[in-house]
Amino acid sequence: MKVRTSWQVTKSVWYALFMREVLVRLWTDRAGGFWMFAEPILFIIVMVGIRTAVQTVEIIAGADMIPWLVIGLVGFFMFRDGLLRGMGAIDSAKALFSYRQVKPIDTVFVRILVEGVVRTLVLIFLLVGLSLLSLSAFPDDVLGFFFSWFSIWMLGLGLGLFFSVLASLVSEVAKLVRVMMLPLLIISGAIVPLQFLPHSVQEILIYNPIMHSIELARLSFFKGYWSFPGISYLYLYAWIFGSMALGLMLHIRFEMKIKSL
Amino acid sequence: MIRIENLSKKYYNHHGSEWVLKDINLTIPTNVSVGLVGKNGAGKSTLLRLIAGIDTADKGQIFRDCRVSWPIGLKNVFQASMTGRQNVQFVARIHGDNEKIKEIINYVEEFAEIGKAFDDPVKTYSSGMKSRLAFGLSLAFDFDVYLSDEATAVGDASFKKKASAVFKERVNQASLIMVSHSEGILRDLCQAGIWLNEGEAIWFDDINDALKAYSEYHK
Repeated sequence: MKVRTSWQVTKSVWYALFMREVLVRLWTDRAGGFWMFAEPILFIIVMVGIRTAVQTVEIIAGADMIPWLVIGLVGFFMFRDGLLRGMGAIDSAKALFSYRQVKPIDTVFVRILVEGVVRTLVLIFLLVGLSLLSLSAFPDDVLGFFFSWFSIWMLGLGLGLFFSVLASLVSEVAKLVRVMMLPLLIISGAIVPLQFLPHSVQEILIYNPIMHSIELARLSFFKGYWSFPGISYLYLYAWIFGSMALGLMLHIRFEMKIKSL
Repeated sequence: MIRIENLSKKYYNHHGSEWVLKDINLTIPTNVSVGLVGKNGAGKSTLLRLIAGIDTADKGQIFRDCRVSWPIGLKNVFQASMTGRQNVQFVARIHGDNEKIKEIINYVEEFAEIGKAFDDPVKTYSSGMKSRLAFGLSLAFDFDVYLSDEATAVGDASFKKKASAVFKERVNQASLIMVSHSEGILRDLCQAGIWLNEGEAIWFDDINDALKAYSEYHK
């Protein structure tokens, strides 16, 4: 009997976990497939409704309000659910660690991958829908937009790898991260523009890497979009690679401890 | 062949730490079935888990150059929210047998004889149904070495008979490393033996000698 190489084993495990994850998301959760699309759409309808009611629809310089909101919301959800679901991945795969081929990091990675695929499909679905309503919903810089979209996902992956280990070792961490998500939704500029805040506040908000990733996506989507000064890929990727390196280190160090918890 | 070099393992507990296995060196040849004997807490299951690769040693290494199963008889090898079929499919996929997945699923479905429950979530299973599924699953793959932790045929009389017959036949082609407290089963299935005592492992070419040494020591 031939012995498989490490990479072959990893590929099989990723494939198996991916199929399991998709299956659970689509069929085991009640109407999982429906809510995947319905949740962001409902959210957007509510947000647009509120913004129309208070008549602030037109004040985003250089961008249409609805696609602007779609990118912010779906992008933030991709980040948030990647991080949160990745954090819960290890716990929900406990039984699978009896097979030595399955490592905790595989479960985290595959979950975040599935989240990225799902949210990207939701985005495409929504943008096509908007185009059919004859709203301008095609990125001005397609390649640049996909790269920045990928960067949002990478940020979720890096932080997901990092927090998945911490949350398994110290369960309070998961609660804390969960609580942080609502304020982060607001201070990341996903639903309300932060361009009009005073400069002194902006100077603090600029440290938030999630805001960088979302604004970068909007910058490549709308050619004339006016964002913050100081938004940069360099800062974003420092966070991505930093959290990823830390996350990988933690996974190597605590692999066996996590498995047997 | 499985080679164990300078293997040590300790467990931490609230009153310090104790070495369960101390500096163990062993070579387990292919085609020799081995029984692990020793009293409770001597480290038999620990050694089996280390060989299975689901636990790490504090020192030393284990080299495997053959396909080794997961420890059969271990509880919780299924994800409770997935059906029996989905669980089997998952395990087949991680073992990379993509072209044989259908075959494996059919084999397990037929072997386990749990009928329609095969498509129900595992959390609805009785413990007997779970063991049937687990046993069928482990026999569906062609491993070179089977690890067995007190895995004895379970279920009603007819299933027991069928299971032990298939298991014996399988052991003729592959080899087996097993933990059991039943001397009869060890004598029946194993040729060689390893006696674990106070952190040391002593190899015996004949399982009867291992059992004799063990029982004389504890007389």
